[in-house]
Amino acid sequence: MGTNRLTTLPSRRSVLAVGGALAATPLLGHVARAEDRCVVGTWGGDYARLLRENIDDPILKPKGMEVVQAVGDEAPRLAQLVAQKPLPRGALDIACVGATTGYVAADKDLLETIDPAKVPNLKNIIPLLHSGNFMPDKFVPHIYSAQGIAYNPTTVKDPPQSWSDLLDPRWKGKVGALAGSGMWIMQGAALAKGGSPTAWDAAKDFLTKLNDQGLHLYAQTDDMAPGFKSGEIEVGIIWLARTVMWQNADFPVAGLVPKEGAIVYVSGMVMPKNAPDKDAAYAYMNALLEPAAQQDFAAHMGYLPTVGNAQLTGKVAEQLTLPADAKLVQSDYPEAAKMQAEMNDWWLKNIMRKT
Amino acid sequence: MTTAAGLERLAQRREALSAAFLLGPATVFVCLTMVAPLLLLARYTLNRFDPAELMVAAWTAQNYARFFTDPFYLAVLLTTVRVAVVVTAACLVMGIPMAWRLARSESRWKSAYVMAMVLPLVIGATTRTAGWMILFSHGGMIDIATRALFGVSSVGLANTELAVIIGIVSINLPFTVLTLQAVFEGIDPRLEEAAASMGAAPARSFQRVVLPLAMPGVLIAAVLCFILGMNAFATPLLLGGPRFQMMAPLLYWEFSSNNNWPFAGVLAFVLMASSLALTLAAGAVIPRRYRAR
Repeated sequence: MGTNRLTTLPSRRSVLAVGGALAATPLLGHVARAEDRCVVGTWGGDYARLLRENIDDPILKPKGMEVVQAVGDEAPRLAQLVAQKPLPRGALDIACVGATTGYVAADKDLLETIDPAKVPNLKNIIPLLHSGNFMPDKFVPHIYSAQGIAYNPTTVKDPPQSWSDLLDPRWKGKVGALAGSGMWIMQGAALAKGGSPTAWDAAKDFLTKLNDQGLHLYAQTDDMAPGFKSGEIEVGIIWLARTVMWQNADFPVAGLVPKEGAIVYVSGMVMPKNAPDKDAAYAYMNALLEPAAQQDFAAHMGYLPTVGNAQLTGKVAEQLTLPADAKLVQSDYPEAAKMQAEMNDWWLKNIMRKT
Repeated sequence: MTTAAGLERLAQRREALSAAFLLGPATVFVCLTMVAPLLLLARYTLNRFDPAELMVAAWTAQNYARFFTDPFYLAVLLTTVRVAVVVTAACLVMGIPMAWRLARSESRWKSAYVMAMVLPLVIGATTRTAGWMILFSHGGMIDIATRALFGVSSVGLANTELAVIIGIVSINLPFTVLTLQAVFEGIDPRLEEAAASMGAAPARSFQRVVLPLAMPGVLIAAVLCFILGMNAFATPLLLGGPRFQMMAPLLYWEFSSNNNWPFAGVLAFVLMASSLALTLAAGAVIPRRYRAR
């Protein structure tokens, strides 16, 4: 999830991983039956590496547990959970998914309800990351980030402070966004212009105007950085975690939470009902909420900890701490799941297609 | 006589058994890995998509109706066909002279030329496309060069249909040339000498003698090129940018963004069927004497 795969168009590697993950399914089923093994379906890249470095090796390996990563994209992972629902034993003990997919999986009765007694760290999940009876009961939030406004502080001295400011003529043709984040941008715009992440009509109206002003779309998250560098754009709508990663790579970019508030992207883990080794899955979920692991993810990926006892310090705290009055809002997941296909369709035909 | 006939029947039976033995494993493999998944996918296309349930078992043609009644999807199909046709034409126009020259070359460097032609295929298509991206990007090498030479700030090649066409041509051209080179090498050079002896200039000899003889091979190269163009995925995705849509990336979008398997299946079948139909149509309009037998 190094580039937040949920919200970007697919790279070749991710496409290959689709086939690889599905092809490896029978093998994984076999592996998962071995004792003290936890099979984790996850994104590749930085995310998989940080899982190994912060959870698998330092916490679980000393306890004698071997973690096997099944690397793939989120869509085939959900497909795998759906396809394996009738089986008494599935292939995965843990599946890493975004919250909307987590909701869909929970709604389809694919997920085990987490026993808080077996995941003691669950009690530390911050209040923002409780949603209905699926988060954190079935979907354990691991990391999260707010959708913000990014800008190049060396060239932009007076950045836009709100979504409304983006329509100011001085930003005409200078705003960038990620094509694959359409559903999230729509929710952010809906929150800003309609007061709720489901105010779809307000979002459509605003985004149509923004697109008519020459919105630049980028296929991949990292495509936006050269856009900033070349002066093609001066402002971008993007997850603030990415701005931190760019800062860590000495790329001059700053981010702010829009005045109207920001929608948050939550990535987490779920346990399929037919997970072969539920004890291993519980141990894994508890480990991912350990403060040290959360702090390291924050330092390297720029995502915020989901537990209240993982205090950030020093440079990381400076980079990640959001203003106390920042309004952060979670998706209305049932509504988002219901409308996702329709809104993606609208985004594709009215924003992506229209130049 | 009876014994001879019996022996002959036995030989025929052995031959049939031998053929079955040779063809059997491949046939079973193809059926298991291609036909069966295609049948399954065909069944999925008749299911219904529901945002909550994802795929609901049904027998409905609504997914096909959605594709054929929505101008957006038809426009994407049209773009895909247009790109594939232009790519095929460009590959043939550039590939035929190159292949012919290579086939007739007696230079000791011939194998080096062929290697140079094949070399780009050694690099992965995506890696090569990444190179094109750097070349075409806003402020990229082409922009720098044109700014220095002509004072033009940006050529604006990035994220255009032309960039996609250039990218796919760079991938397909070696396949086209290699296919055609083998075809031209199969044509006796003495035919060209005979044409020359009767006063035909090289161009006329090529046009009237070589090309008609090579036409079945040219058709095969064109079909290969066209199908590769129709199904291009990474190149349109990377060089076309998010606002440029072709069928294969759209199919993945439908699967990955919406989890809409039935409609993604329809896109796959429409892509497959249109590639096949246009290939057959092209074959039909070519005079029979030029077709491969």
